Amino acid sequence: MNSKQLESNLPELVLFCRALREEGLCATPAETIAAARTLDLIDLSDREEIFLSLRGILTSCVEEFERFEDLFERFWNRFDNAKPPQRDFGSENRSTSRRPPRSSQEQERKGLAFFLENWGASRTDANEINLPAAGNTAADNEKDFSLFSAEDLEEIGRLARRIVRRLYSRPSRRWKLSPRGSRVNPRASIRAAMKTGGELIELSFRRRKNKKTRLVVLCDVSGSMDIYSRLLLQFVYAIQNSLARVETFVFSTSIERITGRLKNRTYELALESLRETRGWSGGTLIGPSISGFNSKWSRLVDRRTIVVILSDGWDTGEPEELAESLSGLKRRAGKLIWLNPLLANPEYQPLTRGMQAALPHIDMFAPLHNLQSLRALECHLVL
Amino acid sequence: MREEVRRIRELLEQQAYVTDAAVATSLYLAMALAKPLLIEGPAGVGKTEIAKVLAAALSTRLIRLQCYEGLDATTALYEWNYSKQILHIKLQESAPVSVEEKEASIFSEAFLLKRPLLEAITDQTRSPVLLIDEVDRSDEEFEAFLLEVLSEFQITIPEIGSIAATHRPHVVLTSNRSRELSDALRRRCLYLWIDYPPFEKELRIVRARVPSIGEALSSELTRVIQNSRTLGLSKVPGVAETIDWAASLVALNAGHLDIDVVRETMGCFLKDESDQQKFEREISRRFDEMAGSGS
Repeated sequence: MNSKQLESNLPELVLFCRALREEGLCATPAETIAAARTLDLIDLSDREEIFLSLRGILTSCVEEFERFEDLFERFWNRFDNAKPPQRDFGSENRSTSRRPPRSSQEQERKGLAFFLENWGASRTDANEINLPAAGNTAADNEKDFSLFSAEDLEEIGRLARRIVRRLYSRPSRRWKLSPRGSRVNPRASIRAAMKTGGELIELSFRRRKNKKTRLVVLCDVSGSMDIYSRLLLQFVYAIQNSLARVETFVFSTSIERITGRLKNRTYELALESLRETRGWSGGTLIGPSISGFNSKWSRLVDRRTIVVILSDGWDTGEPEELAESLSGLKRRAGKLIWLNPLLANPEYQPLTRGMQAALPHIDMFAPLHNLQSLRALECHLVL
Repeated sequence: MREEVRRIRELLEQQAYVTDAAVATSLYLAMALAKPLLIEGPAGVGKTEIAKVLAAALSTRLIRLQCYEGLDATTALYEWNYSKQILHIKLQESAPVSVEEKEASIFSEAFLLKRPLLEAITDQTRSPVLLIDEVDRSDEEFEAFLLEVLSEFQITIPEIGSIAATHRPHVVLTSNRSRELSDALRRRCLYLWIDYPPFEKELRIVRARVPSIGEALSSELTRVIQNSRTLGLSKVPGVAETIDWAASLVALNAGHLDIDVVRETMGCFLKDESDQQKFEREISRRFDEMAGSGS
């Protein structure tokens, strides 16, 4: 390929950027312009240089490299074959994208998203759902999640807001002006002193701002957990939309981030997009899922982060791997909380091999099966 | 390959920084497009080093802003010298000057403490290299503030007015990914990912940085390090550790690696006890084979 070819094929570059955009990369017109400028600056006979340059401009994190490389390969081959530009560059890519078309599988998957969607319906036929936890069904505020009313949902929202307030109430290292602060604020004091000819009469004060604690929720959505994950996701949805910093993941045999799907949308839209996620209601591999989280997402966890795992601990993986992955997570996190719906049953003993291996690494092991337990959780979500 | 890219590569190699096409191309483009360069990668692969070497290669000043949580504009940009201001006011107390004049005098550049960002913008002679190190350790508030500075290269100090850069600094940001950076910041930057180097590159690095090392020893220790990265350690040794280890072995006059030397010196590159145990088990098992193929 020579430079004339590329210049005459600038539309190709635009198509390339559009294709990247469809792959979820951030290639806005601003990036396209930068890419076009770049082509003027580099040696267009050097394939590696073009590749490295465009990658520097059009990707913004290492996770995007693979997708970029795939598309670049196609882009380049089109040049080499000097085919006339085809309009369907983007769409030909779409048809081979990894996500299977959602059609019949949707029904089969019938995962958490399905339950979320049928929230209203399931409330009425809740009796048909067999709960793994031997719930206390007598008291009103201890009824199971499957029996939620509109007031309950409101209560979840209230709880979420309360928890968010808690998460925000830790002093940070930043300062803010405050008349009742404990430290003198020199900048504002000097400024005020100018009024009195430089005499410091009124002092201005400052105090520490409050710091925001982060929450990372790992939610088991394997078959045995469907009902409880539904509650937790509703809860997390409420928290996320109270402007807190929450990252949400779901796992069964592998882990997936759903923060974006829950964020900044109406609940209906969130449900709609959750339907696209895969792997609901399958088997459980907690260890590998958490290892996967550690290797890919551990940067989201630091000492100001509370990690909440919601799982019944029925694991088909190796207990050693679970223990190792949890200890890795524990090392980074401020607090590790495991919520187990089965714990509500007084006869329950955490004897599953997975649970046994997990216990030494957990800061708090608590039940989560109804609103009462959710309320109890509130006071543990502090560092 | 473009001549300029080759030239940058040469300049970096002259500073004993072993590099590759990706680094050289990114640096060239960052300068040509006047965009900040965001460098990510595991700890100890030489991200910060790039900025230092770049400054040395361009024989310009390196201005470093180390980020940490709570870093704010007064530490990053400027601060008034309050004690000097108060002293000045006191000294002028009896002088017949109006409040306005007093104010103008104490809010002038003589009372301004320049912090790294302002320093980088006000360089009068040539573009400095501005290294914003470990930007992921700062918080979102600072990131937003940084965006503003990086897009305009202009800073407004209410008491003085706007100060625009006469020579735009070359900006290098590094991140260890302890926190996800905002898309806005990422988009404004060119992106460069530096991974652990492959064997040949790491060997060249060791030989460039520890010139007195023997051929056999350097390839042996590089191979050990390369292998240790595949063990799933909790703190994977970076290139900085490799260089440390190489320097220690040279200081100990070790000509070859044997199991005892490795045991005694593995603290140079394994900084976690459970990693050391894991490594020791593995190395005992594989030592003969590795020493054999390394020589």
